[in-house]
Amino acid sequence: MTLLAINWNNIILVTCVGFGIVFIVLVLLIAIITLFGKVMAPKAKVTKTTTTTDAHNATVKVEKTEEGHIPALDSAAIAAALHMYFDEVHDEESLVVTIKTVERRYSPWNSKIYGLNNNFTR
Amino acid sequence: MKQSIKVFLLSVMALFAVNFATMAQDATEETVAAEVVAVAEEAVEAVAAEVVEENIDLGETMVNFFEGMGLTAMAQDPRYLIMIIIACVLFYLAIVKQFEPLLLLPIAFGMLLTNLPGAGLFHEELFAGGHVHWSDMANGAGLLDFLYLGVKLGIYPCLIFIGVGSMTDFGPLLANPKSLLLGAAAQLGIFAAFFGARLLGFDAAEAASIGIIGGADGPTAIFLTSKLAPHLLGPIAVAAYSYMALVPVIQPPIMRLLTTKEERQITMKQVRSVSKREKIIFPIMVTIIISLLLPDAAALIGCLMLGNLMKECGVVDRLTKTVQNELMNICTIFLGITVGATATAGTFLSLGTLGILAMGITAFALGSAGGVLLAKFMNLFLKNKINPLIGSAGVSAVPMAARVSQVVGQEENPTNYLLMHAMGPNVAGVIGSAVAAGILLSMLG
Repeated sequence: MTLLAINWNNIILVTCVGFGIVFIVLVLLIAIITLFGKVMAPKAKVTKTTTTTDAHNATVKVEKTEEGHIPALDSAAIAAALHMYFDEVHDEESLVVTIKTVERRYSPWNSKIYGLNNNFTR
Repeated sequence: MKQSIKVFLLSVMALFAVNFATMAQDATEETVAAEVVAVAEEAVEAVAAEVVEENIDLGETMVNFFEGMGLTAMAQDPRYLIMIIIACVLFYLAIVKQFEPLLLLPIAFGMLLTNLPGAGLFHEELFAGGHVHWSDMANGAGLLDFLYLGVKLGIYPCLIFIGVGSMTDFGPLLANPKSLLLGAAAQLGIFAAFFGARLLGFDAAEAASIGIIGGADGPTAIFLTSKLAPHLLGPIAVAAYSYMALVPVIQPPIMRLLTTKEERQITMKQVRSVSKREKIIFPIMVTIIISLLLPDAAALIGCLMLGNLMKECGVVDRLTKTVQNELMNICTIFLGITVGATATAGTFLSLGTLGILAMGITAFALGSAGGVLLAKFMNLFLKNKINPLIGSAGVSAVPMAARVSQVVGQEENPTNYLLMHAMGPNVAGVIGSAVAAGILLSMLG
């Protein structure tokens, strides 16, 4: 009885039209963002060469990726370094002196006066 | 002359007579007043004597005391006890299992407070019929009632959305706009659950509120439910946040079921970098476009994009820190407690709640499946294939769903990093669920 009482037209309308409008709105956004990206995206050359002079005056080409970005591995290395820096997971000293003086009691065994080398004369 | 003297004397006598008469009247009145006061004093003394003399009925007093205790009310109506047990289960999930503790803990405490019989901390009748009874607010409304106004008027979800926006990076979405399609496909769960809830006998407004659980976006779910079906706010909020916490449990089996090993191993191409100017213009542009298309979604989208603009422009650091921390935390506390307070025994312990929980998890599962399936479909046409696992991140649940994509992807290919690719559909899901909420509000509100 409950099923018969339901207005199926309304349900299908809300379901299909609602879902459809979500898609339409977001597809419209895709079009705008894509267009927007083409206008606003940073322009980069496909390849960029820089010359560095080494001891033999040789030219070394530093190639970048197709989009003009640095390679993924370099990105990962930079990200890891930043992560370590911001999370303070780095090897910087904490500036706390941890070396403690140790009191050495005198003993003939560690005496510098009676050392083996003291017998040499020049 | 004699006549004049007679008239004068008569006048004087008349004046004296009037004066004497007045004095006599005053005297009479004073006498009467004195008599009345005396009688009244005697009566008061008599009554006082009777009061003093009356004995306290210890038995009756104790009976009244015990009848006023919450324990008695709980014994008469064990549903209170069940609700307190449910609140304790939520405490366990929040504290021990750490399932969305930031929201589940205040929700559980609100639920506990509102189900303490006799305490009367929250008055549902002030919000009966779907609107605020302002005239009754001045008479006996408590703290929870006043805090609930923030939910009822849709204030807290919007303020939380400012905080969410200020913590969201739309860069991956801008770099790969196709992600928006995955975010749209993941809204399948919302509309499928709406359909299912209608079949279970919920009315259209209730079904829409249940369906929005599938958006996996707590503030959006609360915003829409407070507008369409406020009496279901408690169960829907609990279901939404519980399932969001269970994303790492719910999604992986669906993702594995719908994809092949080869598909899960797909390595995606690195996305382009996005300039700061793009990131600044994007929130302004989206606010204008979506608000013009769907005015009902303007509140949520506007707040989301305001927060994002604050973050991206970089000139209002103090405001950004405030909305990311203090504002968001305060709103979260108020939202959690008051939403929990709406989960009274009368509204929560019903077959309807079971229906909500069932449809909620269905919506989650279908939303995840929708994203994955659309990603597979898109791969039929794309030159640079996308890993279908990122499709499941189209349900909002930021950033949990994206992390799940990353983890499941690395199970098959440990060198595959899907996190940033999955963040695109993930933030697209936030926009998608807000758009879906706006559509449902405009159709059924």
